[in-house]
Amino acid sequence: MAFLLNCPNCGQRNVYDFRFGGEVLTRPAPDASNEDLTAYLYGRENADGPQREWWNHNLGCRKWFVAVRDTHTNEVIETSWAPDISVPNAEESDGQ
Amino acid sequence: MASNGTGERLSPGKHELIDREVVVDFEFEGKLITAHQGDTVGSALTAVGIDLLSRSFKYHRRRGLLCVAGNCPNCLMTVDGVPNVRTCTMPVTGGMTVRRQNAWPSVDHDFGSILDRMDRLLPVGFYYKVFHKPKILWGIMRPIIRRIAGLGRVDTSSDGGPAYTHRNVHTDVGVVGGGPAGMMAALEAAATGLDVTLIDDQPLLGGQLLLDATRHTDPAIDDMQDGTGQEIAEVLRQRVAQQPGITVLNGATAFGFYQDNLVSIHHGNEAIEVRAGRVVIATGAIEIPMQFENNDRPGVMLASGALRLANLYGVTPGKRAVVITADDSGYSTALALLDTGITVAAVIDMRPEPGTSELAESVRSRGVEVLVGHRVVSASGTKRVSGVRVIGPDSSERNIRCDLVCMAGVWNPSTGLLLQQSDTAVEYDEQLRESVPVELPEGVYVAGAITGIHDLKITLAQGKAAGRQAAGFDYEDASLLRAGERDYRARMRAPGSSSGSQTVLSNPVKTAKKEFICFCEDVSSKDVEVAVSEGFGDIQTLKRYTTATMGPCQGKMCHSSFIESAALQTGKTIAAIGRTTARPPAQGVPLGALAGPGHMPRKRTALDDVHRRLGAEMVEVGPWLRAHNYGSPQDEVVTVRNRVGIIDVSTLGKLDVRGPDAGALLDKVYTHRFSNLREGRIRYGLLVGENGSIMDDGTVTRLADDHYFVTTTTGNIDAIEDWFNWWLAGTGMEVFVTNVSSAFAAINVAGPRARETLVKLTDVDLSTDALGYMRSTRGMVAGVPCIFLRIGFVGETGWELHFPTEYAEHMWNALMEVGAEFGIAPFGLEAQRVLRLEKGHIIVSQDTDAASDPLDAGMRWAVRFDKPDFIGRGGLVANRSRPSEEKLVGFVMHDRFVPEDGQPIVKNGVPIGRVTSSRLSPTLDKGFGLAWVPEKLAREGAEIFIRSGKTDSPAIVTLKPVYDPDGLKLRE
Repeated sequence: MAFLLNCPNCGQRNVYDFRFGGEVLTRPAPDASNEDLTAYLYGRENADGPQREWWNHNLGCRKWFVAVRDTHTNEVIETSWAPDISVPNAEESDGQ
Repeated sequence: MASNGTGERLSPGKHELIDREVVVDFEFEGKLITAHQGDTVGSALTAVGIDLLSRSFKYHRRRGLLCVAGNCPNCLMTVDGVPNVRTCTMPVTGGMTVRRQNAWPSVDHDFGSILDRMDRLLPVGFYYKVFHKPKILWGIMRPIIRRIAGLGRVDTSSDGGPAYTHRNVHTDVGVVGGGPAGMMAALEAAATGLDVTLIDDQPLLGGQLLLDATRHTDPAIDDMQDGTGQEIAEVLRQRVAQQPGITVLNGATAFGFYQDNLVSIHHGNEAIEVRAGRVVIATGAIEIPMQFENNDRPGVMLASGALRLANLYGVTPGKRAVVITADDSGYSTALALLDTGITVAAVIDMRPEPGTSELAESVRSRGVEVLVGHRVVSASGTKRVSGVRVIGPDSSERNIRCDLVCMAGVWNPSTGLLLQQSDTAVEYDEQLRESVPVELPEGVYVAGAITGIHDLKITLAQGKAAGRQAAGFDYEDASLLRAGERDYRARMRAPGSSSGSQTVLSNPVKTAKKEFICFCEDVSSKDVEVAVSEGFGDIQTLKRYTTATMGPCQGKMCHSSFIESAALQTGKTIAAIGRTTARPPAQGVPLGALAGPGHMPRKRTALDDVHRRLGAEMVEVGPWLRAHNYGSPQDEVVTVRNRVGIIDVSTLGKLDVRGPDAGALLDKVYTHRFSNLREGRIRYGLLVGENGSIMDDGTVTRLADDHYFVTTTTGNIDAIEDWFNWWLAGTGMEVFVTNVSSAFAAINVAGPRARETLVKLTDVDLSTDALGYMRSTRGMVAGVPCIFLRIGFVGETGWELHFPTEYAEHMWNALMEVGAEFGIAPFGLEAQRVLRLEKGHIIVSQDTDAASDPLDAGMRWAVRFDKPDFIGRGGLVANRSRPSEEKLVGFVMHDRFVPEDGQPIVKNGVPIGRVTSSRLSPTLDKGFGLAWVPEKLAREGAEIFIRSGKTDSPAIVTLKPVYDPDGLKLRE
């Protein structure tokens, strides 16, 4: 792992400066079923291809952002601030 | 010890690296060796007549200098305690100590060399075949084999060896390889105004040109009409030195090439990571050994190695040479050797016809026999080569006497670094008879001998083109360059073509047990034949079975011979055989260089000096150093229980959480509710993960309507800060989370006389009516603004004071001074652990683990299920609906016996739980602690048994703290 990542705040930096936060997941509603909860807690897509994931610029501005990375080639397709989730289930309406 | 001078040297050469005016002494196995400044260990030893440098891996055969370029395994020695140093490129420094390795009792008289005659016992893959029956034999043989094989030994008594450092370099264009192509590329790229880093593994830029004494006309460099290769190198080197923007790293080995053009470099005691915008790979080609029996005898060298010794160090590689060649370079080698005064007995040209007949003629005219279409079958001699057996085209055989064999003109393009990139491909080129790059990733360019073309003019043009392209421009003369390359390839097709590699297998029909392909691992052509006949026909399995290409040279010396040999044995073409996978490192790197200096930060509180002056014993707690005790933890416990104690708790994580949505954020991440916390109140805060397991704990204080002060455990602060910010991301909540851990120092003042002490320094009303338990206020103490937290981790009346760090020592001294009359004393971490344990307070990750939830840990009271949502609610709700497996409880022994942390609770000899913390209780004068037990035993008075060694000791479960069970003291 030695690629470059574009922090929306600081620009392109060595991946060593970042902390990986895993796949972007949609948090189930408080009254979700046990199955949905289990899927959220332990199920991962582990995509072979583009994947949305959390990154934190740990040794920089310490901000969290979302990167779309192709896990097959390690190419970072885009980075952006976290999607607006102030509206409940904004992510689903976003088609994610 | 006596020095015998720097040995016999050739007359000074124009391009040598040594300074004959300066001598340097070093120690070699107890003897003092004198070298010249600029010598390598290998050149200095050869100069004084030491040609046996190592013993081989498996058969313990004698090995001497081969490549003199830091590629092969033959000169690995232990230098200043560091094993496996390539001494042929290691510069001599005064006072260094050098010894040879992998032999007993000595390299000169190695008992292990008997293995060379026991090869029948050690067939290829013997590790899987012999010494396995009877079974007990393997147990005896394995340690012996491991001791006999292998390389140098790590000195375990060493205090850590050299201090390695790490450095990051950012550059526009990285150029790997400092030969003509690399220098040209660097010059072109830098001329456009870019920043260029030129990386070369040799002490001097020039690459193969350093050894090239032949004349080149019109090299197309400035206004240069003609010059020898060495002169051209000199001109290029000067231009590189004068060109602004080029940083040169000499003696720097690029061993890793990673994504987004990161080049990892080993440079002396430094590891450098060069992040380049674009990269030019001009790593050239490596001359490799030919195949004949005993091709590993000391005195059998690569032509380039012999010339390097003679030209760069003035050391004679031998007295009477035989040159074997696969291209014209053998003739230039012969001429260069003759010029230094070495006798050349014969040039053996493996091609059916000589290439450039003028070259052959000029060698002949100097009295050297030229044998065209001949091959060498074997070398003779025991300690050193004494002759070669030659077979002619008519199968006639003869011996030629010599003490030096130079193998010239078989080249292996150095693609080991390039191939570490994905989107890269190398293919065997039938015309060039070399495996050359055919596919390159974006932003990576190649130039020079790595392309399989050995022609200076083309190499220089390729360098120019690569430099231009790496700088982001087109190369104007691209079509001319392509035409030149086409023309070169056309020449290659001609019979008896003038240059280019030939097959390395001098005798393709017959294999031999001691005809070595892989010098690192002692793998011979016979071994490949046997392995293929056993079914290991695929190159990947053949590699793993024979271990060929897997030694220190990482295939540099053997990869093409190995593939060619495999092709021969399987009847496939070289292209069909394919290649083994290139992985980092391209060359062995000391682990110390990879590890670098310790990166563990060592944090000290503002009171560190104070603790040391008081004679505290310090312990590591995460990154922090904390005072464990000041002499007697027992006395410190008594101080707090009976009088007043102070402890430095500055290491606590502290977060300032501020904004209109601060309460909402805390409600979201904590199990408790904080939006309804009144100003000036404190509440215990428990953080759990989404699955409900305990992550961290601390206190949350509401300082103002939109302002909270949060403490976390010492080691978790960074993770908790990230955790808060993660749950904020994208929510649009208006909150600032600021880590103020080092901005605030903190001292806890606790004990029955704490109030009397503190009132002397403050006007704040400390009475329970004004500032009760779990209340907070702000005010001045000893003239310093403080946040007062009335909490009770240790179980006594006490105040945690948080204040600006710069006043820490002043505050500490003021408290000690006014508390003197009440018997104040500092207490350390150990006393605090005993005190808190008597109160049954948990320490997260000491008493809990990744599977512990608040329900089982007895902290149901800290979880507000009536909140519609919080992080971990779903997990806790699910856990609540399942029967609990175990609970965290207190226990008390019947006597002063103290079990160890982690000892099992047993029932009928079967573990059913475990102790997490235990100490001697000063209150009870009995052993006690916390333990996880099955739920049915989690009741007051239940009997449990704790196993220590072979003894099971009884203990009684208690659900209440052993000290002040109702918490009355805290509230006084």
